Amino acid sequence: MMDPQSPPVPPAVSYRDVSYRYPGEPSLALEGVTLDVRQGERLGILGPNGGGKSTLLKITLGLIPKGGAAGWSGAVTVFGLDPAEACRNGIVGYVPQRTEAELAFPLSVSDVVTMPAAWRLSPFRAPPPDVRERVRGALSLVGMESDGDRPIGGLSGGQLQRVMIARAIAAGARLLALDEPTVGIDARGQHLFAELLADIHRRLGLTILIVSHDLRVIAAGCDRVACLARRLHSHTSPRGLTPAVLAELFSHNLEGVLGDAVHVDAHAASECAAHGHPPISAPHVPGPACEHGR
Amino acid sequence: MRTIEYLSDPLLRGHLLPPLVAALALAICGSLLSVLVVLKRMSFIGQGVSHSAFGGVGLAALLSGLISGGLSPVAQYAVVLVFCAGAALAVATLGDRKSLGMDTAIGVLLVSSMALGAVLLSIASRMARSGGTSPPIQGWESILFGSILGVGWADAAVACGVSATVCLAIGWWRRPLLLWAFDEAAAPAFGVPVARMKLTLVLLLAATIVTGMKVAGVVLATALLVLPGAAAIAISRRLLPVFVCSVAVGVVGLLGGMILSFERGWPTGACIVLVLTVIVALAWVVGRARSVRARPGQGPAVNPLESA
Repeated sequence: MMDPQSPPVPPAVSYRDVSYRYPGEPSLALEGVTLDVRQGERLGILGPNGGGKSTLLKITLGLIPKGGAAGWSGAVTVFGLDPAEACRNGIVGYVPQRTEAELAFPLSVSDVVTMPAAWRLSPFRAPPPDVRERVRGALSLVGMESDGDRPIGGLSGGQLQRVMIARAIAAGARLLALDEPTVGIDARGQHLFAELLADIHRRLGLTILIVSHDLRVIAAGCDRVACLARRLHSHTSPRGLTPAVLAELFSHNLEGVLGDAVHVDAHAASECAAHGHPPISAPHVPGPACEHGR
Repeated sequence: MRTIEYLSDPLLRGHLLPPLVAALALAICGSLLSVLVVLKRMSFIGQGVSHSAFGGVGLAALLSGLISGGLSPVAQYAVVLVFCAGAALAVATLGDRKSLGMDTAIGVLLVSSMALGAVLLSIASRMARSGGTSPPIQGWESILFGSILGVGWADAAVACGVSATVCLAIGWWRRPLLLWAFDEAAAPAFGVPVARMKLTLVLLLAATIVTGMKVAGVVLATALLVLPGAAAIAISRRLLPVFVCSVAVGVVGLLGGMILSFERGWPTGACIVLVLTVIVALAWVVGRARSVRARPGQGPAVNPLESA
């Protein structure tokens, strides 16, 4: 699907000259961002905190209105639709940072996965068999099929994230949008997460958009990377992330972005050397995002 | 017991039955809402809205004095309800802005409404005295802490109407309401009309508080929206049992509190809150014991409400 010779497929998400200024802020949060997310690809949006990643994600999810004094300018389509309309149709499966849900809720895992798939149903109807089947399928896809009855508050960080992904899949998403997916997940959990995402991508062929400031998650799970610090700085495969690109992106503050992902990537090292930079000898310093899950 | 004596006497029944019917209706709708209030951490919003009802009571008293013939009980409810709904909307709107946090917005609204209510009530009673009529609203104590004596069939009918409306609304919108309440960040991305859900919940809260005020008083009405849910969540971790438990706790607490108040002559709202508090304490003990038993050797399970 990545073959440049194949006939053009309309992009999953298309950004054209997108700019946005938060109300009351002097400078732009996003400036002239133009980018296509191809159907079926895994695109990582990498950038420092405050670089506009979350803003771009909010625009993609239709959470920031277009136009006017407080809106964004430019053009964005999600599978040919206006972002807000795409969300209303359930095309975009948003996987938020895990800390944002109210985990004290007396809900079971399958309750949580069923909710987005079933909230439009008539209040008099129980979820029909096809919804229940989709929920079962999504749970088994993320390896949680036997945990449907567990309370949502009793899961580990990694399990909760699987449930959130299953929830988006059960809702019928064609695009998974993951916001800082590795925050609060330990190193082993991150590895399992990358494997899970690769498996889902292989089996469903979904388009996956990952927003993160953590290079490891991007390097491990994406086909392409867009580096975003207000403007789009570069737009490459994870292997093309040279120290020069990263230094520009993060203003030389590489501690915390570079982890073992770069360390183990021999191609990156050789490519760095080919560009005249010494290979990155990133220490095994856990990034700021690498906290241990519960 | 005086309660049984009153209920079995056809003449005295009319004094006790309306407050009991009103309490039952309130217990059901308040307890359903309280699950969402506790889980969504909105107790303080309930507090703010119930205290702002005092301003509404003052306004209703003043209007009663100004309009010849006074306001009918239903019209008084309407005035207080509109005032409270306005306050609730103000809290929801102001609290959203980054500059003014939710707690500050509620803090400002709470005291200003109480102050406004005090001034308006004072004006209204002076007007009534100079006109030679009785004050339009009875004593302060019953407004603040509730009174069983002031509840007639009209109040019971209003309570039943409000309760039915709240129950229907929660039943009708339960799926989007729960999705929004569980995950406010992700709900709009799944197409849930978040602003409408918030508005719905806040208006339902306002309506329940205004009705509950008559029974439990301005200061304590918010207890109906917190304590049953708190007890139910301590007991169960499943959705349906939590709602059922909450309603059971609310019904026992309100009816028990009213009967205690009636038997002893203590303030009604205070009795209701004390009975509910005992139930919440028992529920916490039971919940704690169960979680210890469920995971032997691991110590008590962490209450997610505390750890989150």
